[in-house]
Amino acid sequence: MSPRAAWRLESFGFTDVYDYAAGKLDWLAAGLLTEGTNAERPRAGDVARRDVPTCHLDDVVGEVRERVAAAGWNACVVVNDQSVVLGLLRSKEVQADGDLRIEQAMRPGPSTFRPFVPIEEMAELMVGHNLETSPITTSDGRLVGLLFREDAASAAHGMHRQSESNSGGEGS
Amino acid sequence: MNQQAEPARLMCSRCDRDIDSCEFCDEPECPSAICGRCVDLALGQAIAQPHGHGG
Repeated sequence: MSPRAAWRLESFGFTDVYDYAAGKLDWLAAGLLTEGTNAERPRAGDVARRDVPTCHLDDVVGEVRERVAAAGWNACVVVNDQSVVLGLLRSKEVQADGDLRIEQAMRPGPSTFRPFVPIEEMAELMVGHNLETSPITTSDGRLVGLLFREDAASAAHGMHRQSESNSGGEGS
Repeated sequence: MNQQAEPARLMCSRCDRDIDSCEFCDEPECPSAICGRCVDLALGQAIAQPHGHGG
């Protein structure tokens, strides 16, 4: 919150008040808790799969492919020891030459998106760009999860149905 | 004569800015390529800024 809001809360008698200096967008980007009507809308961070397999630059494609397949996945996020996203293996890269190092096979520096992005907008762009997965990260690049196009589209569709049902089926 | 074909220019489909690859899907030949600024605006990762001058 802003420093002024923090001071205002103190004036109400709250004693444990902090000024989150990095700002509201950074708070949201870290996937931290929010309240209010808008907080009920599903967002990329809610829908992203957090159990996505990860690997490191020095790993070998063949070993990673086996591990990823055994976990029922066809994608893997390349991270460093701080969980910062460095690359991505989508289904095509997972099938690369098994002797290659991950650094040689990965898509380096993939575009990443923040957890607070509304799922409808993500779904629309992922469908429009035929993008199967998108990494979701905090603003300092740490992995939150991997968002699948079908999950995003399904969540967005569910939202529309919910919204239609709440409005008594108007326009249907 | 030795003529080299110029590489096709990629432009943001929303603001016409020249870009190297689509900022959303990272593809250099994306038919609906979009620049980083337009992606951020479309996804609410940034907000459009008002004019820099004081009016």
